[in-house]
Amino acid sequence: MRISAFTQIIVTVAVTAWVFILPVKAVATILVFELALLLSIKRDRMTMAAIGGLAVFTGLMILFQLLFGSPLEVALTGGLRMLVMTMAFLCMLAATRIQDIAQTLVDRFHLPCEYAFMLTTALRFVPNFLADSEITLDAQSCRGYSNRGNCVKRLLSYVVVIRPLVMRAVAKSETLALSMELKGFGSNTYKNMPREPLGAADFIVLGLVVVLSTYPFWK
Amino acid sequence: MMESVIRLENFYFAYNKSELVLQDIDLEIKKGSFTVVAGPSGAGKTTLCKAMTGIVPFYMGGRYSGDVQVLGESTKGRRVSDIAMRVGLMLEDYESQLVSLTAGEEVAFSLLNHGFAPEEVAERTRKALEDVGLPGRESYQLDELSGGQRQRLLLAATLAVHPEIIVLDEPVSAMDPDGAHSLYELLYAIHQRYGTTIIVVEHRVDYLLPYVTDMVVLKEGQLVTADTFAAAARTMYEDEELRPLVPALWQVKLGVERRFGITLGEWRTEAEAAAELQLLGFEGGNA
Repeated sequence: MRISAFTQIIVTVAVTAWVFILPVKAVATILVFELALLLSIKRDRMTMAAIGGLAVFTGLMILFQLLFGSPLEVALTGGLRMLVMTMAFLCMLAATRIQDIAQTLVDRFHLPCEYAFMLTTALRFVPNFLADSEITLDAQSCRGYSNRGNCVKRLLSYVVVIRPLVMRAVAKSETLALSMELKGFGSNTYKNMPREPLGAADFIVLGLVVVLSTYPFWK
Repeated sequence: MMESVIRLENFYFAYNKSELVLQDIDLEIKKGSFTVVAGPSGAGKTTLCKAMTGIVPFYMGGRYSGDVQVLGESTKGRRVSDIAMRVGLMLEDYESQLVSLTAGEEVAFSLLNHGFAPEEVAERTRKALEDVGLPGRESYQLDELSGGQRQRLLLAATLAVHPEIIVLDEPVSAMDPDGAHSLYELLYAIHQRYGTTIIVVEHRVDYLLPYVTDMVVLKEGQLVTADTFAAAARTMYEDEELRPLVPALWQVKLGVERRFGITLGEWRTEAEAAAELQLLGFEGGNA
């Protein structure tokens, strides 16, 4: 069963709305579904790390709420809602190619192509940026950079890594912009790509979304 | 007389807040030629490449005078992407020019932006990948390709729009000698197969010796010569600053010619050189 990027975006948006209108038990049930779905789609190290990271972040959020005087129940509910929302995006990213998401955002949601393109660009260049930062760090270490000392000292000394890294990133982004210009990037980008048709599975899922979203108002 | 595909007339250019980068450039690139642009660092080679594709001055800005005509039309007032449909450009930093996530999307990107039908895009993508030795790799993620393959992919993306001219700015600067030879062999095969005019900025002209037909030499933003390879190499050899840029084999050839007052053939390979020298009685370094 193949569900289009359009439907997946709708479902993700719907889930983020449901966490605010549904009771806690229903939200917790959604979380179980999301986890099962995510693990059935992808069970690699990256996914596990993402789930672990989200869990830690949620724990910190709950802790901060408690520190600022929120009751335990409110803190737990807040953490749960945040976790369900972010997990929905994680499911979408795991199940859909980023290019399809970008194309759907332009083609069906009329998002300007520059913003949609940022999604693919970010995914494309984040690994490059990380590799560059390692190279820069090594190069500056050879020239005497050291991250020893207290926090302030470390932060200040890190400027010698940040500066060339930023300059490198700017130069790369200029080349990328020029390359996009040469390749005719603009209003036609994504629109000429073959549109993903909606199938029976999409209509069933969209129908379910409508039913679940309007359910609280039936009573 | 051979038809020219690019013509620069009395062209001057300076980037914003900078000195003149190109001065009084009068130049013609012949149709179907394999031209190398050579010169010391800072001579204006990259800027010349950008001028040939309309990027300079119409995308990057700056002060200019004179005119650049590409395939009979002035670059003035034309969109860079429209020029790029006829003149493919590959810049030095190939990694940053790849804008998509898979090989197929990268090749198709430009075609889709220009409104080609999806069936034609698929066919051109398949053919372009095949031409650069990456057949059937449409679905490969970019990080599944090696550096050399990514460079070939960029070439495939350029080829897919069927340009009449391809301009490459130091395409092998980050490659080992084997990779460099392999890319230039591929480029020459494309040049032979499709009759595409090739213009390459290259410091190490040695790599291009078997293929080059013409050479443009720049020095401090000025044109030293734009001629057939043999004539331009002689001009370079006469200039002490430019002499090291002459291919090593031709430095030997021109040195021998000067010393013994003879004229040797247009050597393109070491085998040709060895054969001719042996025929003339040069053995083991003695005449």
